[in-house]
Amino acid sequence: MTERAGYLPGLDADALQWEAHNYGPREASLLVLLPVLKGEQITAVTQYVRSQACARLKTLPVGQIVDAIDLAVARLLDRQDPYRRKMDNLLPVITGYDREMVHLGLTGYLKTFRKPELQRFLAEDFTNPSILNDFQPLAKGGFGRAFGPDVLGHIWAGNVPGLPLWSLVAGLLVKAGNVGKVSSAEPLFAGWFAQVLAEVEPDLADCLAVVWWRGGDAEPETALLHQADLVLGYGRNESLAAIQSRMPITTRFLAYGHKVSFALVSAAALDPSRAAATARLAAYDVARYDQQGCYAPHVVFVERGGVVSPETFAHYVAHGLAALERKFPRGLLSMAETSGVAAWRHSEEMTVGGQVFGDEAGAWTVSYQAEDTAFRPSGLNRTIRIVAVDTLAVVPTIVAPFKALLQTVGIAAPPKELFALAAALGEVGVTRIAALGDMTTPEAGWHHDGRFNLQDLVEITEIDGRAEAASDRLAPYVD
Amino acid sequence: MPIDDPLNLNRVMPAEGMGIAHMEYNAIVADLLDFIAVDGPDEAAFNRMALRLFAYQFENNKPFAKFIRARGKTPRTVQSWTDIPAVPINAFKTLDLTCCPHGDAVAVFMTSGTTLGGLRGKSYHSTLKVYDASMSRNFAKRFMVGREQMDMGILFPTTAMMPNSSLAHYLSLAVQTFGTSGSAHLIGDDGIDFERLMADLTRAEETGQPYGLLGASFSLVHVLDELQRRGQTVRLPEGSRILDTGGFKGQSRELDLDEFYDALYHTFGVPRSHCINMYGMTELSTQFYDDGNAVCPSVKSGPHWIRTRVVNPLTGVAVAKGKAGVLAHTDLAHFNIVTTILTEDAGIETDYGFLLLGRATGAEAQGCSMAVDEFLKAAGAA
Repeated sequence: MTERAGYLPGLDADALQWEAHNYGPREASLLVLLPVLKGEQITAVTQYVRSQACARLKTLPVGQIVDAIDLAVARLLDRQDPYRRKMDNLLPVITGYDREMVHLGLTGYLKTFRKPELQRFLAEDFTNPSILNDFQPLAKGGFGRAFGPDVLGHIWAGNVPGLPLWSLVAGLLVKAGNVGKVSSAEPLFAGWFAQVLAEVEPDLADCLAVVWWRGGDAEPETALLHQADLVLGYGRNESLAAIQSRMPITTRFLAYGHKVSFALVSAAALDPSRAAATARLAAYDVARYDQQGCYAPHVVFVERGGVVSPETFAHYVAHGLAALERKFPRGLLSMAETSGVAAWRHSEEMTVGGQVFGDEAGAWTVSYQAEDTAFRPSGLNRTIRIVAVDTLAVVPTIVAPFKALLQTVGIAAPPKELFALAAALGEVGVTRIAALGDMTTPEAGWHHDGRFNLQDLVEITEIDGRAEAASDRLAPYVD
Repeated sequence: MPIDDPLNLNRVMPAEGMGIAHMEYNAIVADLLDFIAVDGPDEAAFNRMALRLFAYQFENNKPFAKFIRARGKTPRTVQSWTDIPAVPINAFKTLDLTCCPHGDAVAVFMTSGTTLGGLRGKSYHSTLKVYDASMSRNFAKRFMVGREQMDMGILFPTTAMMPNSSLAHYLSLAVQTFGTSGSAHLIGDDGIDFERLMADLTRAEETGQPYGLLGASFSLVHVLDELQRRGQTVRLPEGSRILDTGGFKGQSRELDLDEFYDALYHTFGVPRSHCINMYGMTELSTQFYDDGNAVCPSVKSGPHWIRTRVVNPLTGVAVAKGKAGVLAHTDLAHFNIVTTILTEDAGIETDYGFLLLGRATGAEAQGCSMAVDEFLKAAGAA
């Protein structure tokens, strides 16, 4: 089976060089052709997207853009739709994630991009979303209008299915032309979305492009960085630093580095009637997309003093992971990943007061630590460190040294404790608090890494309040 | 067995309270030296010796015994050397794996400590006699190939400069045992002594006496770079050999292996088939060699007192021959510490040894999360 990646309006596909990449195990492998773009082709496609976005997208009211995205998402939520079928069939092969997990994950994720959620997305960042269409009164006086960039460049990373949709939708809502570079770890989703969008709203067909170039090829990357008005980059700090070093000084670069997350379980949540269910939710957060997303927990801090002990809770989580392994088996690991899990497991075994349990084949591992409270990343791929603490109040101090790397914290605690912990965690850099079980599914309109998804993309042109008054004196109706 | 102690082993053992262990210790050292000296003992003999060392370590090496029990094994349940749980090399950083008390060790070899918070893996040696016998017999066969002595240049610091480096000891032993009086260490406090190196190389060219250049792979790269800068090349006489070890990971410059061995040939005139790569570890007392690098990657193999299995690192089960896995070595010569270790090196078993594929770790998160290495790096930079 062969699939072409990318979405390249204005370029002649036959004139491009395509590179074949194999995905999946030999017996069910998928061949994907990736377009090997050069600097001049990136420049050409970006200029074309810019001209089309200026001519079409920027003239549409934001409500109409919301309707178009809603239509496209509705198609992708239909499991009979040919593109959705491709997603369900091919993304598990590309990423190695369990088929059913990908299917359920996509549905849950796409649901957060329907019209009501898109409206929430807009309302979260703009008191009056019409500011994207026209000048609107500002609270301080005068009027303002928000302009998105003509071209928003995206450099995506990783293989969590659907992630490019976040920034692509954000770009469209602020009426930017979009040129996004996919990662070879998951090169298909963004292109499929672009094609569906083009089918449901032909006016938008030429306002976005999905591109690729060979990793390490600085020339096409530099071309995009010089053509775009604003660039969003995702990935490791080294890759982001390399991008930043090539950015023209006049272009803004918003970097989303890799992050880590963890969870807290209060003693109040550890009564016999609830502890097992709470542990199942924690196990689900660990299992989903095999911990590859930044919102997945690496450590669960469990408070002593509840009826159920932290150690018993760790066994409950192990039980939950064993059950999930039967329902959604973990993906196949590369040698390096297997070795990473093994190295992590071995180092956890060496700690004082540690107990490590997992299944024979290594599909999941729980490391229970009674004494070593250090915050250390897991070995990924369904490995979790469960740390007993006397009180959760010590956790913010434990994680504080990693301020720049923290993202989501899943909390199981009563309301008063939830808010107290949230305040302390916010101070040390945590940007999202979630319920256990929801850690890996951010809600619509969430502030990604604590930032404003849409506001960060626009510039406000404002009419000074006095300018309006001054112009009034020049009006033809002046007596 | 009567003990006449010709090897003066009493020097390294506590005098009181360990009578039986002491006798067993002396017997083990003597038998190991015999084992190394003979030609190709059979599988059964290897197995017997491995199980005997396993029982000895289980008895005398407390952290090791704890590790083995945690794996649900004891000497009574292990019948084959392949069933001995392999100790991950990371354990050498946090556990004191030794059968003799620390204070009685004549040498402590340590890893460079570039990971895991700067902790260094330690191997305590109660005697270096077995290490030295292992090194010498194997080196004679695989590097000297019949020649008794050779002029040598060592591109590595001396043992005085690096007392805890197993490689410094290895190279010093090479030059003491197999080097002529004209041999020299070419790295001093001020780095590589290029003047001495050039003088030695030129002399070899003039006299026609074969020359051996041995050292860390990255030091050879520095030499290649410097000679290229000076526009100098030499044609070392026939029979000359080069030994490199350590590879380029983590160095300022990573070279493709073909590029590296081509450069050695062009700069020194030593054919790639005479450029030997040694694969060794602080956590072992025996080294692996290839038979030259005419083709890369080359097949590595060791002598009869070390066996290598290619395993799934999570389960410890051997992978099918021809499949990639992680290397686990059982080195009888590493008897005072542990004999069976799990490395972090990926490899593939072949008919004559194994192909070394590089580090098996270093996987990155596939998504936007972080693997341990990346986290430590980012946390260190933050």
